[in-house]
Amino acid sequence: MNTPEDQNLTLQVQNLLAEAIQVPLELVTPDLAFGDLPQWDSLGHMEVMLRLEEQFGIAIDADRIARLISIPEICHFLEENGHGD
Amino acid sequence: MEIEPRSHQKPEPVLVEIEPGFTIPDFMLAEVQIKLAYADEHIRSASVQPELIRLQVEAEASQPELIEKVQRIVESLAKGAIRPKTQILEDYMDRPVPYKADPMPELIRLAEISQESPGVFALGPLVTRLAGYFESQFLALADSFQAAPYRFPTLIPARYLERVNYFRSFPHSLTFATHLRSDLDVIDRFSQEAACAGGELTASPDSFAAVQNLLSPAVCYHLYFALADKPLPQGQVIATAVGHCFRYEAINLTSLERLWDFTMREVIFVGSKDFVLENRETARQRMREAFERIGLAYRVENANDPFFIGEFRKQAAFQSAFQLKFEIRVSLPFNQSTLAVGSYNYHQDFFGRSLNITLPDGSPAHTGCVAFGLERIAFAFLAQFGLDPSGWPAEVRQAAA
Repeated sequence: MNTPEDQNLTLQVQNLLAEAIQVPLELVTPDLAFGDLPQWDSLGHMEVMLRLEEQFGIAIDADRIARLISIPEICHFLEENGHGD
Repeated sequence: MEIEPRSHQKPEPVLVEIEPGFTIPDFMLAEVQIKLAYADEHIRSASVQPELIRLQVEAEASQPELIEKVQRIVESLAKGAIRPKTQILEDYMDRPVPYKADPMPELIRLAEISQESPGVFALGPLVTRLAGYFESQFLALADSFQAAPYRFPTLIPARYLERVNYFRSFPHSLTFATHLRSDLDVIDRFSQEAACAGGELTASPDSFAAVQNLLSPAVCYHLYFALADKPLPQGQVIATAVGHCFRYEAINLTSLERLWDFTMREVIFVGSKDFVLENRETARQRMREAFERIGLAYRVENANDPFFIGEFRKQAAFQSAFQLKFEIRVSLPFNQSTLAVGSYNYHQDFFGRSLNITLPDGSPAHTGCVAFGLERIAFAFLAQFGLDPSGWPAEVRQAAA
């Protein structure tokens, strides 16, 4: 079961993603993955990665870019990097 | 012999030095240099170091404007660029090869190539036979997949390229096709007044019809459009075709290394993700055997397409991260560099989604292709083995000499 902190982080990522790919927040479900929306394409994905770096102060290398392809995976990565609490 | 990069009767250039204001990452130096060719028509040549850009510029250029455009290109490409993942799938660069000189002067002296205009070359019998040898190898690869043969036109409709976002991704390399307007007065005036001055056709721009077609930049696009807006037959297709492709590269068009008009053989895979990726890998293994037989020195490494500045940073990083493109880079001993002669490409479901090509389950098809530039591979071979067929590997000599 998700904790309130988890839900908060998920919501932050949902908001970031909605802004990055320029879609209404209601389309960005908590389990959304790359390719689920036409706007989350290659350019959209890189915009998400750049905003994650900027907003959370983290560095995302090329290997990681290919793995952060869903909101749960992004949240898990952020938690591992100290943004889950 | 030096090839004239632009038209004649140009004044002597002046040196312009620009400090970008930040350090250009090492992995972006070559890309910045290539893209500076598109910054301003007055740039004759460019060299790029991490903290200094040197340009040879025609004296009549407005330097403030030019410097602003150069800065815009450099910042767009290099500021915050993500270091690409380096992945080398094959490395046979240390294979011994017998030739060390630049083949271009000898090719010109022997009339084996003749330049018609920048990036446009006619090939003589030796180079043509050599290109034919490599074409036979690529056809054998296509046959090993039982690829269906296709013939595609040289022209491609503008509306096709718009549908796959080509204008946004690669505007700098487009080549447009037009014709005189269907108007007797226009045609009469043109026939009486048209002339060439300094290599340029002098005719009123309003003589020409609106552009509806371009010269095609790639072979595989034609197949994707042939398959568009319908379910994929039997859920998968393997096809092959050869065609002339056109990519304008401005002042970078200096030898057979970079051509405006070149010939590309492709083997194209359309189907599920696994189908495309497995066949791309099989093609690479089969080509490795072909290159090994002739002792070509090369490596296969990850790469990206030459996106224009607006999309380059993101698209290149994406291609690298998802391992979408690997290039066959052949050693050029004469300048210790490499030349990309072909590539193994995977487009994910980009064309399937953009063109509504669907698999039996209704999901968008995935696509990939392996593509080989015939002039480039012939040139790279000559750079390693020279122009004397007696020094060539027996297989090539028997087929091409």
